[in-house]
Amino acid sequence: MKKNRKWIVLFLLPGILLFSFIFLATLVILFGSSFTDWTIGKELSFVGLKNYINIFTEDAGFITAIKNTFIWILLQSTVHVVIGVTVALMLSRKRWYSNAVRTIFFIPNVISSAALGMLFLCTMNPQYGLLNQLISKITGEPCTTNWFLGSNSAFWTVTMTWLPYAGLVTILVMAEMSSISEDVYEAAKIDGATPLQTDFHIVLPLMRNIIGTCVVLAATSMLQKLDIIMMTTSGGPGNKTMNLPMYVYETVFTYKKFGKANAEGIVLIAVGIICLKVIRKAFKMDEED
Amino acid sequence: MKYLGKLFVGIFLSIIVIISLVPFLWVFASSFRTNGEILSGGFGFAHGLYVQNYSTAFKLAPLVAFYKNSIIVAILATVFNIAVCTMAAYVVVRCSFKAKGLITAMFSVGLIIPSAALIQPLYNTMMNTGLYNTLTALILVYTALGMPTTFYIMVSYIRTIPYTLEEAAYIDGSGFVRTFATIVLPLTRPAFATAGVIQFLLAWNEFQLALTLTGDTSKRTLPIALYYFKSAFASDYGAMFAATVVVVVPSIIVFILLQKQVISGLAAGSVKG
Repeated sequence: MKKNRKWIVLFLLPGILLFSFIFLATLVILFGSSFTDWTIGKELSFVGLKNYINIFTEDAGFITAIKNTFIWILLQSTVHVVIGVTVALMLSRKRWYSNAVRTIFFIPNVISSAALGMLFLCTMNPQYGLLNQLISKITGEPCTTNWFLGSNSAFWTVTMTWLPYAGLVTILVMAEMSSISEDVYEAAKIDGATPLQTDFHIVLPLMRNIIGTCVVLAATSMLQKLDIIMMTTSGGPGNKTMNLPMYVYETVFTYKKFGKANAEGIVLIAVGIICLKVIRKAFKMDEED
Repeated sequence: MKYLGKLFVGIFLSIIVIISLVPFLWVFASSFRTNGEILSGGFGFAHGLYVQNYSTAFKLAPLVAFYKNSIIVAILATVFNIAVCTMAAYVVVRCSFKAKGLITAMFSVGLIIPSAALIQPLYNTMMNTGLYNTLTALILVYTALGMPTTFYIMVSYIRTIPYTLEEAAYIDGSGFVRTFATIVLPLTRPAFATAGVIQFLLAWNEFQLALTLTGDTSKRTLPIALYYFKSAFASDYGAMFAATVVVVVPSIIVFILLQKQVISGLAAGSVKG
């Protein structure tokens, strides 16, 4: 272990400066201004907890945004992760197509979400979209459902742009599975366990930590979903697909209520921390580290 | 029973492949169809491959400029991110000093802050420092956003390098920086690839901060270009499909070529999630 104060400081300095500029300064502004009525063209004044009380008691849009965000967090941390883990288990038996399927499944995760939003906007287009064309061909009747703008279909259409695309979960779980020794599978086979029993009683319990990590990633990714929503519905129709990031964005750029937007930002961060704590507890992830 | 299981696996995986691939293939195929063909539906190419969509797309939107911006931002954000994180990771692993826990916490903060929460404060900071609507702003922000992942990849990689090599260098009279540059950096190269590809994809794909921290066409990156030109393309579907393909293809190529690095980077970076 070297002790060389000058070099330690110099090596850490770029990171410290960057952190201070991008995270520390912004977090201070975020927290401080959440107690003010900061907006454009007006003297800023301290309003105490007014913004927080306002968003939770008088702002129907914010309540809808929170509700939708929670539904999406719940769906993503369950259905999405189950899909990803199921695919990982299916591909783990090294079949000829395993690598190809894994690669293909990850493609929707690797492209820009904005582009993914565009892909879906085209695929679901009421006039020329692939989905309606297929439905028309199968039923023989012209189908012109407007998936993204129909007030009944919008929420689920948006949900389907991320819920099934669990390629990241599959990749992470498979990477972890590769560390299980062949002997374990061999021993299970000798003991007469079927592949399904091996998966459920041996493989899955060994995957607890990485599945917990996947649940954390899946849940917190729902606090980042601005891109796809902006590309497709902008939160509409009538707040049906409004989530927290989109609501913060609107409060800043449409309504210019910066103090209020930053109170919403604090709530967004708090939701993230609560998710992290709850999930880590549920998966007992702190015990082994 | 065994066959039933196989059937289920087959059907499930087929659905997975179809939903992942078909929208993309359809948009790709449609980017070579005329507007008329797209609107009338069907899946053929009655007019042959209509490549004019691509030239129209490049005419409707300054895609070349967006490409240039995206490449500059992604490359510089990757280089800076790796430089900053490797230096910090090295001293955190090899040196003993009091604030180690604090430094680690500092590099991890990004993990628990959804960037949507920072939209207004970052916008304000960039406005006040004159960095609003510059590529520099995006480069700095992406360098910072990737700090947690790259830092963890670097810390865990440097831990695997035996200290004896550096010790020998010190005994031979090599200084701190020289040991770092000539002994440690060459050995860390595999981790650069791993962290670099993840960081590159982050910067290449990022949308929400690119949208809020830039103001005019000359400073936009590819993902927001799609957003702004959604309306410009509104009547020219073929060009819109072509523009989407142009944006999507680089990420897919990077992923397929560097799959091994992407996978190990994701695995290493997620551990502390």
